[in-house]
Amino acid sequence: MPSIPGSSSETVLGADATFKGELSYEGAMRIEGKFDGKITSKGRLIVGKTAHVSGELTVAHAGLEGQFKGNVVASERVELTGSAQVTGDIRSPRLVVAEGATLVGNVVISPEALKGDHRGSSEREQILQTAAGAPAAARR
Amino acid sequence: MSKTGDRRALRCPRCDKGVEVSKLTKSTLCSGCHRTMRTEDETVSDYQARAEYYNEACVEVAKKGVIISEVRVRSLVVKGEVKGPIRAREGVTIHKTGKVYGNLAAQALSVEEGAVLVGRVEVGPGRPTGGPPPVIPVAIVPAASSASRPTVAINAKAAAGAQ
Repeated sequence: MPSIPGSSSETVLGADATFKGELSYEGAMRIEGKFDGKITSKGRLIVGKTAHVSGELTVAHAGLEGQFKGNVVASERVELTGSAQVTGDIRSPRLVVAEGATLVGNVVISPEALKGDHRGSSEREQILQTAAGAPAAARR
Repeated sequence: MSKTGDRRALRCPRCDKGVEVSKLTKSTLCSGCHRTMRTEDETVSDYQARAEYYNEACVEVAKKGVIISEVRVRSLVVKGEVKGPIRAREGVTIHKTGKVYGNLAAQALSVEEGAVLVGRVEVGPGRPTGGPPPVIPVAIVPAASSASRPTVAINAKAAAGAQ
């Protein structure tokens, strides 16, 4: 199964490392160990196959190969490889899910996904109208 | 035509009962729920608002196609628009022109760049699990405010039903 390529100058949290707290960085980072907390970056984050990450991610590009529990806000894209197990909400303009990946959560994937609450509320209304109104109206 | 020709195993999208039919069968009657089950691949290129859209085959929603309904299919390709909960026994592919508003449960999901997907997603091997598809709960929506109109409407319906 192909993994997401990293860059040569990435920060690595090794498989035997555990980190709790808030983390911010520039550039790229790969997590192979355990992380619990909040990550904020304008760069790229890769959650490796052996990683167990929980918390909030606010990054540009999130590549998820391992286990992740929490919310992701990515300004560019989110990629799930076949080994990814993700539970939580994703908000991003682009999402790639490889076959075999597990994803359970609320997803907002749209070019306007990050453009504020106004657009989001109209999308929410559409979901709710569709779920509650449209099928019921058609049954009548 | 030989009765021992190529056959395929299907599952009723309503009652989940297994049915075996010929590969040429376009529709059949489910022996579990005694309702018609469509088994022919289909392309939707117009506007369809229905109570339910069930087809135990591959369904493609073309660029100009719109489905407003609960959708239960074997696999789904969305190039147009779908509003409503989707349950696919195999994969769902959302092309770059596709828009999906609703909960999605499938074994595999592919989303092209530029596609729109808003809703609760359950994707992975072994999914969707048995039973009816989940109704979209109010809690799945990231709440902008605690008292949104649809919440009140749903609660009002529930209260009316209880009386």
